[in-house]
Amino acid sequence: MWLPILGLLIGIFLGLITDLSIPEQYSNYLSIAVLAALDTLFGGIRAHLQNVYDDNVFISGFFFNIALAASLAFLGVHLGVDLYLAAIFAFGVRLFQNIAVIRRILLVQWSEKKKSTKLADK
Amino acid sequence: MLKRKGKRLAFSIVFLTLGFLLSFSYSITKDQFSQDGQGHAAVSQYSAQEKQVRKELLQIQQRNLELQDHLYKNQDIIREFEQKLSDENDLSSLTEQAERYRLILGKVAVEGPGVEVTLKDGQYDPAILNINDYIVHEHHIFNVMNELYIAGAEAISINGQRISHDSYIVCNGPVITIDDVQYPAPFVISAIGDGEVLAAALNITGGIKDQLVNDHIIFTLEKKALLTMDPIIGGL
Repeated sequence: MWLPILGLLIGIFLGLITDLSIPEQYSNYLSIAVLAALDTLFGGIRAHLQNVYDDNVFISGFFFNIALAASLAFLGVHLGVDLYLAAIFAFGVRLFQNIAVIRRILLVQWSEKKKSTKLADK
Repeated sequence: MLKRKGKRLAFSIVFLTLGFLLSFSYSITKDQFSQDGQGHAAVSQYSAQEKQVRKELLQIQQRNLELQDHLYKNQDIIREFEQKLSDENDLSSLTEQAERYRLILGKVAVEGPGVEVTLKDGQYDPAILNINDYIVHEHHIFNVMNELYIAGAEAISINGQRISHDSYIVCNGPVITIDDVQYPAPFVISAIGDGEVLAAALNITGGIKDQLVNDHIIFTLEKKALLTMDPIIGGL
């Protein structure tokens, strides 16, 4: 369990000390990549709570989504269509949906737990 | 067991990437905000810089004024010294010459009677299509200046800018540049000399005044009992 957390910390540390400056036109790609990563992460948590979680789906989805989003933005820039907006929209909507589902599942679990403790008290 | 280890590794990589992306984009956004001048911090930084520059400018201007004052005083001392020298050694003709040359070079402040000519752009007239037909051009100013010099003007200034032996006047669209300083219309040409003679010279029938009026320029002439002109700073 500690290995992923260590990885997260190392990643944050690397990102903060990296003194790279990317050109402004590429900052879109980065924001999309961040959004895709967050989306996949919350998707994974939801899947875990719904007991349909699969390691391979999660790991492949994480990197594949990031790459797909970035390439979509790249294509959009070269076609003159703001395709990165589509990616932001799609990921944003899914992010909210995933979080909503997670919240509901957690609420149901919490209320069931409360009920069961009440029953046990009686 | 081996499979689990591989999964763990993959997870670590996933989280490493996530952390890197988040913190990297955070630091980049921070950088951009401080560079763009969009962020609040950046704005206050710029305004502080501006304040600093303004303060420096004011200080330099103050110092400039002090130095100018110093220069005037020193010039006065030199002239006093010359006066004394000429009184003692009977070199009055030399002193007079020096004074005259200084006047021509515009090195000393002068005051005396004279005339003040104001040239204003003519009223907008829809019948005249070309704007150039009723604004003041540099040749108008040249004509007035030359006429004044011919009539015996000792010193001339335009809008307070003293004209010296190597001054230049350039027409720059609606403004006129005199020795690197731009002036808009109206142009006030002051000349020190015999007011009667100068006024008469400008008013000759078919002379400068008539020409200017023909060019739709509003010409006013005023005799002044006392005009004061500052010396030119800098130069040789």
